Amino acid sequence: MNANILETRGLSKSFGGFYAVRGVNLRVRSGTIHALIGPNGAGKTTVFNLLTKFLQPTQGEIRYDGYDITLRKPSHVARMGMVRSFQISAIFPHLTVRDNLRVALQRRLGTTFHFWRSGRMLDQLDDRADELLSSVGLSDVSNEVAMNLPYGRRRALEIATTLSLDPKLLLLDEPMSGLGREDIGVVSNLIRQVNQTHTVLMVEHNLSVVAELSDAITVMARGRVLAEGSYADISKNPEVRTAYIGSAHA
Amino acid sequence: MTELMSFMPPLPVLAGQLLIGLINGSFYALLSLGLAIIFGLLQIVNFAHGAQYMMGALCSYVLLTWLGVGYWPALILAPLIVGSFGVVLERVFIRHLYHLHHMYGMLLTFGFALVIEGCVRQRMGSSGNTYPVPSALAGGWKLAFTYLPAYRLWVIGISLTVCLATWYLIEKTRLGSVLRAATERPDLTRSFGINVPKLVMLTYGFGVALAALAGTMAAPIYSINAQMGSEIIIVVFAVVVIGGMGSIKGAIISGFGLGIAEGLTKTFYPQASTTIVFVIMVLVLLLRPAGLFGTSEQQAPNSSLSGDVSLDFMNVAVRRTLVAVSIAAGLAAPFVVYPVFGMKVLCFALFASAFNLLLGFGGLMSFGHAAFYGTASYVAAYTVKTMGFDPMFGILAAMTVVGMMGLAFGYLAIRRHGIYFAMVTLALAQMVYFFAVQAPFTHNDEGIQGVPRGHLFGLINLENQLTMYYFVFAIVLLGLITIWRIVNSPFGYVLKSVRENEARAISLGYDTDRCKLLAFVLSAVLAAVAGALDALVFQLASLTNVHWSMSGHALLMSILGGVGTLSGPILGAIIVAGMENYLASLGSWVNIVHGMIFIGCVMVFRRGIVGEIAFRLGARRSVSRSRREPAAASGAIAASLSSQP
Repeated sequence: MNANILETRGLSKSFGGFYAVRGVNLRVRSGTIHALIGPNGAGKTTVFNLLTKFLQPTQGEIRYDGYDITLRKPSHVARMGMVRSFQISAIFPHLTVRDNLRVALQRRLGTTFHFWRSGRMLDQLDDRADELLSSVGLSDVSNEVAMNLPYGRRRALEIATTLSLDPKLLLLDEPMSGLGREDIGVVSNLIRQVNQTHTVLMVEHNLSVVAELSDAITVMARGRVLAEGSYADISKNPEVRTAYIGSAHA
Repeated sequence: MTELMSFMPPLPVLAGQLLIGLINGSFYALLSLGLAIIFGLLQIVNFAHGAQYMMGALCSYVLLTWLGVGYWPALILAPLIVGSFGVVLERVFIRHLYHLHHMYGMLLTFGFALVIEGCVRQRMGSSGNTYPVPSALAGGWKLAFTYLPAYRLWVIGISLTVCLATWYLIEKTRLGSVLRAATERPDLTRSFGINVPKLVMLTYGFGVALAALAGTMAAPIYSINAQMGSEIIIVVFAVVVIGGMGSIKGAIISGFGLGIAEGLTKTFYPQASTTIVFVIMVLVLLLRPAGLFGTSEQQAPNSSLSGDVSLDFMNVAVRRTLVAVSIAAGLAAPFVVYPVFGMKVLCFALFASAFNLLLGFGGLMSFGHAAFYGTASYVAAYTVKTMGFDPMFGILAAMTVVGMMGLAFGYLAIRRHGIYFAMVTLALAQMVYFFAVQAPFTHNDEGIQGVPRGHLFGLINLENQLTMYYFVFAIVLLGLITIWRIVNSPFGYVLKSVRENEARAISLGYDTDRCKLLAFVLSAVLAAVAGALDALVFQLASLTNVHWSMSGHALLMSILGGVGTLSGPILGAIIVAGMENYLASLGSWVNIVHGMIFIGCVMVFRRGIVGEIAFRLGARRSVSRSRREPAAASGAIAASLSSQP
């Protein structure tokens, strides 16, 4: 059993000579909530895109769950159980709330390319879909077209969809962005609940959320890892302070 | 070495073709430069670019021969006039589209192209005119190995100068940096006190003026006719796919480079000279999908083209009744309308529905479906007439051939997103068109004539008009049911999710490229059924069915009826076929009307007829719903969770 579910070595990405990410060594231990923080432009989202293979690294390697996934396709990585969310709530806006979940659940059936069969066969997924919807409190709107949901509830739908894949590792890209204070508390609880069974890696700007939730924190600045450790370690680190104050960030 | 030399063509021939290649390259470069500039700032693929090039040629012709203006003033005046026309188009139409999906700009300018080309053809006919080379540039120099006409040298020189000056302007001057800034962040640039809308307007005008300048210079070399624009623009699209539209330098280099490649091909292997640019495009797509000068593209834009219509606006009983009434109407039709007309409507309905399967449910806009429709016509006509196939097997043969073609085209086209996808499919289809022009079995302009309808399974005589109608009706109905089934199948749901948000579909573990490929092949095969039926109905397979305007038809029918609806394309087919039937006597007016429908649909009627009806009914419903339960803006999750144990 590998204690690190995700590990990168010398991960780098350059865009036309400019290194957005350079030599990042990241280790995410199984079962933890790991936060990736840093001022704007530090390369956090690029790291996310590299880990989930939406971008191809220039150098370095990525190991997930004991496998080298550096050259895998993004959809393959997702099937291996590493599922990401997006900064902008990633839902299917013109599908109903329940269909959003059904589409996610459907992949397991292995009927992706079955164009000759009736869609009714997907009804078997309804129970599981409704169960997931009720776990995030969306039961009352399951027949609503997703785009009609207010912002906070879209985030809940997205998290439910991500959970429906029963991932080993959840990558959450700024789960709190755009949420009001009340919703932040709710999503925090949701993440903690998820963490009982899943490993979570998240990019987050809200430092109080990070302090409260994370077991481990990696601080990035200008494409490199600046520091790593618990919140207490990190907050004492003078370099981290400079990076944050230097960029006038909260 | 001497052996190698013996393969070489004589030097004068080579030099001559290289010169022609450079001339063509000059025009490609000017045109793709204009496209790149317009795309850079407006994010719109200016489909009217070819028509505007033609307008430049025509405008200078009018100035020279009718108004007696000299060549030199005309060289300045024509681009100015056409450029100002572009400015008007931008002010009146295009600026209303900036907040919409890229595709709408392409469709709108496609409409412009149809209207402009139609008007010119209506006024001038399709025969060519030309005007003489100005006297100062007449003559040339006799070199050791070739004759160098002064005018041609002048064209190359001017084009190079203009290209380099434009490049300098954009990359090295302050104006250029403002332009680039406005491309990146229009909002921010505006806050610096720069008038972005004016900048955008002038940029469009400038891009159009470049096209007109190319046209003005081309006029003495080529003949001026209505279709000169659409012929060149498709090649230029391929050039743009090869070079990548993000780079000014790339547009210039690939323009000249491909012109030369064309010239060289003409020397060594003349048959391929019309297709070499498309072949290079295919190679580039395989080896370097982002284009020679392009950086890797961003993910496809997430906003879907239309598809914002939920069709559950009718209850099941109403819907069933409507379907039953439509089928009854279809069965009764041959007693009301001319059966051949009825069959044309049916073929078009299936064609448009197949096309819409890809656009409306997969979010992929193909500009190349004529290739599938036309090829199917040829295969069916050839197998039935020459090889004596049963009509049903003719259709199956067409489906097989086109299915493989769809696989190949789809494999290439899905490597690019959005507008590039549209351009790649258009270019690939043009390659098929050129093949059909050259291949002996298609009989060029005459087509494969006198295709026998034969006996279905050797039993049912299809020569009987009414029997044929019901045969076509049955097949088309089967095709439409298949489409309905696909849309509502497990695959259909995945496809819709890919259309809605491709990145998210990937993150759910779906291989979205393979989904798109399957949708592409299915759409091609279903379009093939329609094309094969067309050949049997009219007993003819001709170049019309494989011409790009047939792809335009598919688009027109879908958009008019309602993209992403099942009944929309059928309604669109009835209207478009009807128009063709009743406006046929009016000649080019059909094109003009088609163009105006495109413009009208894009400007005010983006949901199409069925979509609009569905939206109105649906909107009323959701208004009443929102009155019942006012949506809480924030704290919504909290509110909903607090009721949980």
